[in-house]
Amino acid sequence: MNKIRKQYFPFMRAGIQSVIAYRMNFIGFVIGGLVYCFVMYYLWNAVFLSSGSDTFMGFSMTDMVVYLFLSNATGEITFSSVSTDIGEEIRDGSISMRLIKPVNTDMSYFATEIGGSIIRFVVFALPVTIGIEIYRYCMLGRIMFEPVNFLLYLLSALLAYIISFRVNLCFGFVAFYVKNLWGIGILKNSIVNFLSGSLIPLAFMPEWMKTILEYMPFSSMNYTPVMIYMGKYGTTELFVRLAVQAVWALLVYGLSKLIWFGAVKKLCVQGG
Amino acid sequence: MIYAENLRKEFTKNIKEPGLKGSFKSLFKPKKEIVVAADDISFHVPQGEILGFIGPNGAGKSTVIKMLTGILTPTSGSCRINGKIPQNDRKNYVREIGVVFGQRTQLWWDLPLLETYTVLKEIYEVEDSKFKKRMQFLNDILELQDFINSPVRTLSLGQRMRADIAASMLHSPKVLFLDEPTIGLDVVVKDNIRRAIMKINKEEKTTVILTTHDISDIELLCDRIVMIDKGKNVYDGSLRELKKNFGQMRELSFEVDPISGLDVRKFRENIDLSDEDVIIKNDQNIFTVRFNSEAMPVGDMLNYTLSAAKIKDISVKDADIEEIIRRLYKEGAGGNE
Repeated sequence: MNKIRKQYFPFMRAGIQSVIAYRMNFIGFVIGGLVYCFVMYYLWNAVFLSSGSDTFMGFSMTDMVVYLFLSNATGEITFSSVSTDIGEEIRDGSISMRLIKPVNTDMSYFATEIGGSIIRFVVFALPVTIGIEIYRYCMLGRIMFEPVNFLLYLLSALLAYIISFRVNLCFGFVAFYVKNLWGIGILKNSIVNFLSGSLIPLAFMPEWMKTILEYMPFSSMNYTPVMIYMGKYGTTELFVRLAVQAVWALLVYGLSKLIWFGAVKKLCVQGG
Repeated sequence: MIYAENLRKEFTKNIKEPGLKGSFKSLFKPKKEIVVAADDISFHVPQGEILGFIGPNGAGKSTVIKMLTGILTPTSGSCRINGKIPQNDRKNYVREIGVVFGQRTQLWWDLPLLETYTVLKEIYEVEDSKFKKRMQFLNDILELQDFINSPVRTLSLGQRMRADIAASMLHSPKVLFLDEPTIGLDVVVKDNIRRAIMKINKEEKTTVILTTHDISDIELLCDRIVMIDKGKNVYDGSLRELKKNFGQMRELSFEVDPISGLDVRKFRENIDLSDEDVIIKNDQNIFTVRFNSEAMPVGDMLNYTLSAAKIKDISVKDADIEEIIRRLYKEGAGGNE
C-alpha cells in the first residue's frame, strides 16, 4: 500500500500542479459552471411560476436550486477528461512515454486526474455547498445541513468519480480504433448528460424510464450522490443506491481492464 | 541479451482519394491498405555491446524499437530481452530498460527538472543513497546543474535532451534504447551525450541500441551496425566490414592556385570513370574529387590532378560513411524491387 502511495502520489501531485499552472483555464471552468447554474435557475424558475403550485414532481423551488447547484458541483468533482487525454496521447503517440514506465497505465491516469478533482472539490464544490446551505437557511429560516448526508454524499461522489473515470477510460480506448475522438466525444457527452440526470432530474421523468435509468451506470455518476445529499432517499433505498453504484464501479473497472488488454495489442503509434 | 526473431509489424492505413469527393468517399467507405513497417527483422545483441541501428527515414527503425520496448505488439515474430518478453510482462520488463525517443520527452512538462527525477526515483524505487550518487554522476557528465531547477517547458532542446538522457539512465538500466538521441543538437551537446553513453556502457556494461542519422555517432560509439531499409534487414556486421565492402570511396581536396585555373569539364572527360564512381565539386579555390578507389587508385588520381593544375594544398579524407550508406541504400532498394 505504501509502495502504491509512493509510486502514484507523484502523478497526483503533477495533476494538481498542472491544474494550477493553467490558472485562467481553471477560472474559466469555474465561472462557466456557475453561469450555467444561473441560466438553469431562471429556466426552472419560469417553469415553477407557470405551474402555479409550490412543488413540482415532489421538488420545491428551493429543492430545485439545491439540485441545480449541487448537481453541477458534483459534475465538477466527478469530471474526468481521461477519454480526451488518452485519445490525444494515442493520436500524437506520447502514450509511448507512459508505456515505458513501470506503472499501471490506468492507475497513472487515475492518480493524475484525482489530483485535479481534489482541487476542484476544494475550490468549487465546497464553496458551492456552503452557498447552498446559506441559501437554504435564508429561505427556510433554519439550518438544513445534515453531516451524515454530507459524509454519505462524499462516499457516493467518490464511487461516482470511479465510475465516471472508468467509463471515460473505456471510451478513450475507442481511440485505439478510430484515432480521433472529438466527434463521438460530443455525442457521448450529450447522452451522458441526459441519462445521468444532470440536465433534468430523473425524478421528473416517467416512472418506467426513471426506474430503468436509476439502474444504469449514468445515474450513479451524478444523480445518486446529489439525491443522497438532499436526503431524498429512505434508509433502505439509500443502501440500494450505494450498492448499485458499487456494482457498477466493479463492472466498469473489469470492462476497462478487459478492453485495455485487447486494445494495447492493437496500439499503433503514429509517427516518430 | 537481446534477441529479435522474425519481427514483423503491419499497420492498416486508411487511404483517402484526393479532393473533397475523395474525402466523402473515405468517410462512408474507407479504403484500407496494409502497410508493413517491419518485415522479418532478426538480430542478436550480446551484453555490453553498442549497436547502431540505422536506415533512412521511414525504414522502420522506430517501429522495431517500439516493439523491443514493449510499446507495440509484433504482428508476428518475437523478441526476448534479458530473458523477458516485453509484451508479456511490460511492467516488470520496463524496470530494467531505459528509453529515449529523441522527438518526445518523458520529463514532466510543468514541473522543475529536479522534480521529474524525484518522481522517477519513486516510480523506479531507487534508494536514497543510490539516487544521490547517481545524480552526482549524471550531473558530472551531462552538466545538468545550470537548469535543474527550471521547469522543463523552459529548457532549450540541448538541455532537454541531456535531461532526457539522464532520466533514462537514472535507474541503472541493463539496456538502453536511444532513438535519435542527438537529433537537432549542436556539436558540444552531442559530444556530451556521446561521452555519457560511452561511460555508462564501459562502467556498467549497459547494452545500448542506438538509432541515428549522424555518422559520427556511429563511428564513435558503435561496435556493430544493423541496417534496415523498407522494413527489411539489409546489413548486419561491423562498421569496418561495411567500409571494406562498400567504402572504397575516397575524397581528395585540393587548394588550387587561382591563376593557373582548372577546366573542370576537361578534367572530368579525361578520367575514365562512370558517374557512379566519381563526383567532382569546384568551390572557388577548393577543388574536391570524390571517387571509387577500386576503380582508380588514389595515387593515379593524385598524379593526374597534380599534372592538370597548380596545387597549393592537399587533404585526403577517409571513406565517408554517409557515402557508404547512400550506396548501400541504393543497392538495398534495388534488391527489393
